[in-house]
Amino acid sequence: MFQIKPILSMLMRNKSGPLLLLIQIILSVAIVANASFIIAERVGLIARESGIVESEVFDLTVYNFDESIIAHEQNLIDVEIIRNLDGVKAATSSSMTPLSGGGWSSNFSYGTSEEERKDTPNAALYYGDEQMLSTLGVKLIEGRNFYPDEVSSGGPELASLAIVSADFAKDTFGDEPAIGQVMYRGNIGDQPMKIIGVVERLQSAWVDYSNINRSVILNTELGSAFTRFLVRADESAIADLKEAIPAALHKEHPNRVVSGFTTITEHRNSSYRDHELMATVLSMMVVLLLLITSLGLAGMVMFNIERRTKQIGTRRALGAKKRDIVSFFLVENYLLCLVGGLLGGLIAVQLGQQLMTLYSLPKLELIYPIATVAGLLVLTTIAVILPAQKAAKISPATATRSV
Amino acid sequence: MLSMNNISKVFKTDLVETHALRDFNLEVNEGEFVAVTGPSGSGKTTFLNIAGLLEGFTHGDYFLDGVNISNLSDNKSAAIRNEKIGFIFQGFNLISDLNLAENVEVPLRYRGFNAKERKIRVERALEQVGLASRMKHLPTQLSGGQQQRVAIARALAGEPRFLLADEPTGNLDSLMARQVMELLEDINKAGTTIIMVTHDADLARRAQRNIQIVDGQVCDFTMYQGGQSEQKPLTIADAASVA
Amino acid sequence: MFFYYLDLAWRSIKKTPFLSLLMILAISIGIGITITTLNIYKMASINPAGERSSQLFAVQLMSHDNDTWETINEQITYQDAINLSQSDVPVKQAAMFRTGLAVQTEDVNFSPILESVRVTGGDFFALFDVPFIYGRSWDKQVDEEGGYKVVISEDMNKEVFGGGDSVGKTLLLNRKPYQVVGVIENWNPSPKYYDVNNGAFNDSARVYVPFSLAPIEEYESWGNNQSWRHEDIRTYQDRLNSEMHWLQYWAELDTSAKQQEYQEWLGRYVEQQQQVGRFKRPDARGEIRDVAQWLNFNKVVSEDNKVLVGLSALFLVVCLVNMLGLLLAKFLKRAPEVGVRRAIGASRLQIFSQHLVEVGLIGFCGGALGLFWAWMALYFLSSKFDLEASLAQLDQSMWLIAPVIAVSAAIVAGIYPAWRICSTNPSVYLKSQ
Repeated sequence: MFQIKPILSMLMRNKSGPLLLLIQIILSVAIVANASFIIAERVGLIARESGIVESEVFDLTVYNFDESIIAHEQNLIDVEIIRNLDGVKAATSSSMTPLSGGGWSSNFSYGTSEEERKDTPNAALYYGDEQMLSTLGVKLIEGRNFYPDEVSSGGPELASLAIVSADFAKDTFGDEPAIGQVMYRGNIGDQPMKIIGVVERLQSAWVDYSNINRSVILNTELGSAFTRFLVRADESAIADLKEAIPAALHKEHPNRVVSGFTTITEHRNSSYRDHELMATVLSMMVVLLLLITSLGLAGMVMFNIERRTKQIGTRRALGAKKRDIVSFFLVENYLLCLVGGLLGGLIAVQLGQQLMTLYSLPKLELIYPIATVAGLLVLTTIAVILPAQKAAKISPATATRSV
Repeated sequence: MLSMNNISKVFKTDLVETHALRDFNLEVNEGEFVAVTGPSGSGKTTFLNIAGLLEGFTHGDYFLDGVNISNLSDNKSAAIRNEKIGFIFQGFNLISDLNLAENVEVPLRYRGFNAKERKIRVERALEQVGLASRMKHLPTQLSGGQQQRVAIARALAGEPRFLLADEPTGNLDSLMARQVMELLEDINKAGTTIIMVTHDADLARRAQRNIQIVDGQVCDFTMYQGGQSEQKPLTIADAASVA
Repeated sequence: MFFYYLDLAWRSIKKTPFLSLLMILAISIGIGITITTLNIYKMASINPAGERSSQLFAVQLMSHDNDTWETINEQITYQDAINLSQSDVPVKQAAMFRTGLAVQTEDVNFSPILESVRVTGGDFFALFDVPFIYGRSWDKQVDEEGGYKVVISEDMNKEVFGGGDSVGKTLLLNRKPYQVVGVIENWNPSPKYYDVNNGAFNDSARVYVPFSLAPIEEYESWGNNQSWRHEDIRTYQDRLNSEMHWLQYWAELDTSAKQQEYQEWLGRYVEQQQQVGRFKRPDARGEIRDVAQWLNFNKVVSEDNKVLVGLSALFLVVCLVNMLGLLLAKFLKRAPEVGVRRAIGASRLQIFSQHLVEVGLIGFCGGALGLFWAWMALYFLSSKFDLEASLAQLDQSMWLIAPVIAVSAAIVAGIYPAWRICSTNPSVYLKSQ
């Protein structure tokens, strides 16, 4: 029915053309499978949720270079000024901006005595006040928020209460409840910090850090001359606030520099830039590669049709239907595509293995080469059917003409 | 001029061994016009290809203009083809993308002549065949006879000692065929040795000497016509007596 | 003969415009992708120190305890920086870190700007070959005793003083007056190898102040502050006395003898520190890395870049295989013409050369077009992703690299088809049927 045998012997007799096509298909499958896997991995990274209302939150920094300013007092005044501006929903001082690529991290000790001391995994540290949760828009799933009178001001050593992310709680305490646990900085007993709340999800500043979801919020403002504020506002109000906030803060005290005003969305874009760049370049590569392979396929089919014009005419004269001619070319190229796809898949896995050992890329999932071969079959159909239909139109009379 | 002694040519495939030429002997002197005839498949074309250095041979000796042709490198045989041999084909074999002047110029390019020398020779060759006015035309704009004359001009441009023609009039009507034949005769009179393969007996008769190839061997034309059952290879002496 | 072949090649390309275009397109896309990734790779991996690369050394010390960090760190502590500066082995040396200060002038209408500032020794400029336009670095005495001197960049000079020789003028940093002693050219090595932990491709500082002022002015560190153990750091003095790594240290060692000598000096230093209870690891040591080794150590060229270059090289191979197939088809179709040429006296070599020239021409066109694609791709990528200008501009060397890769790749692809066509027996094609 499909005339596989004559097609096979024809392919074998005419080695170089099909062989080249085969090599091309093998390499394409190997590249496309790995590239699309990396793309999917990066897109997956970018798609992770931060737990934050990113488009409504922006950061700004205030540098009080005038030595007469007492930082920890001034910062409390400043945060109030910001909160009272039109359009501001919430604001807090913060040690860092989520997804920005820079900030604080540390681990804590816990346990009943120094002998039985255990250390928590490393976590991102957000120092802030009672409006941290509402500013970021994170969801509290257990326990409670800080009360305003529990928040101190002046330095990290003043922290006494903690709200942790669910991931941090689970990685540290397992199934035990986190609420009520006490963590220490340094040795057991030094600066106790009691966990009073758990939030569903809160990402840290470093997008390439494998434990991006381990975060801890602590109840103090840092009292530094260089201070960061996080502000949540209506998206439409952000542009105006870029003018209003510096004006209000300078009115309060002129000797300082106010800068920043970057939304979390913007931070996200720049933090994930390299991943997005990688995904974009690879996508370009995949599309172009498929284009080139299908053009090569179509070119080969056209060349073959030209070379076999007489043969096709003879077949037609002997009673082959137009459909038979098209299916002849289709089967021929499907064979190539399948063999190439199989070998290409094997090489893809090998290449994936190499990439995994040489670079910090995860292991290639098998679905990618399989999907690539499937896609290639579709592409082959298109690339072959168009010229093959032209071949089917060859008149049976061609056979009787010499030349 | 041309001397072939016991030349054999065997084509081998997996299944069969074909003897295209067997103990082939031929001597052609300078200035001769030799017509070669024979049934198709007899080895005419193989003989012409070997004579023209387009194909090698399995056994025997071949001297052309005193040069031993056996085991010549590709470069050397290309140079001999270029300098000493001109080819004329049944299908003209002009290069369709090139105009007449450029077609005629091709062998001169490979000879390494400078542009001025090439121009002189191309003009002279085209004048000789009466097509100097059509230099810029493409082959497809000419009639078959004209195309063949261009092919002859191309063969002549390099001033070869030797012209090999393979059915030069095969694709032409009788009038054009006559013109081409006359042209060849003029060239021969001017001193160029010509070997022409043809199956046209009338044309063959106009040559100084006729040779027939049957089953890869040279046969005395007259003896064959005389109905002798035994075919014997033509010796040098015989060939001379035929002439 | 070359120009004859070139002429023939051009005619051949014109005669089969679709097929030729397909081939040029195939190779140009391969070249375009390769040049794009190669350009990003090259710009990222450039060694900006040039010929001084092998004389400049980053100094690292393994001062941390076991069971903390696994490898040697890229920064050092303040106490080590002060101790290292006692060595007289290096020709020049400097400790440094990044801070931020509010810049004002004596003009009250000038609204303060927050600037990234480099705190470093007076040798910094000579060490990294930073060219001065006016003045020079502050002198040794400032490095020893402290002094309110500042070096600014041409850019900064324009912004705060409107340009010109500003040596002697006063710049206010955090409201303190500093005397301008030098104006340097806009010096901006990329990667910024002397301090990669603040982003290797962002801009260099435009203001430089003496390292000796750090304990007095208590400049905040705007870089990475890395602690391998918990320390209660409340005051600036705590920080200076701590085991925190927050400084970069560079030394110029111009001969291998000097390098050897310095290694030995560092060995003695580590031993001496061990006697006072620091450097507790058994493998505690000092290491020096020249600029090339340093960039490599810090993985300034990201792995993604390498993966991309590798994949695009494979991509180019696909394009070449594609082109090989098309060339084979094209050349074999031309066999009759080649037969005539051979009969007329062209040698195999001449036919081979003719076809390689044609392939080379196709490659060259592909290379030119590919360069254009690369330029477009870089333009698109840099505008979409806001790439640093130093990464996104097409390096001049690409004007040479692109055609060379394109032509040689095309020729590699063309060798087989050209060989096939020149080695077929001409007589087959001469007989008309």
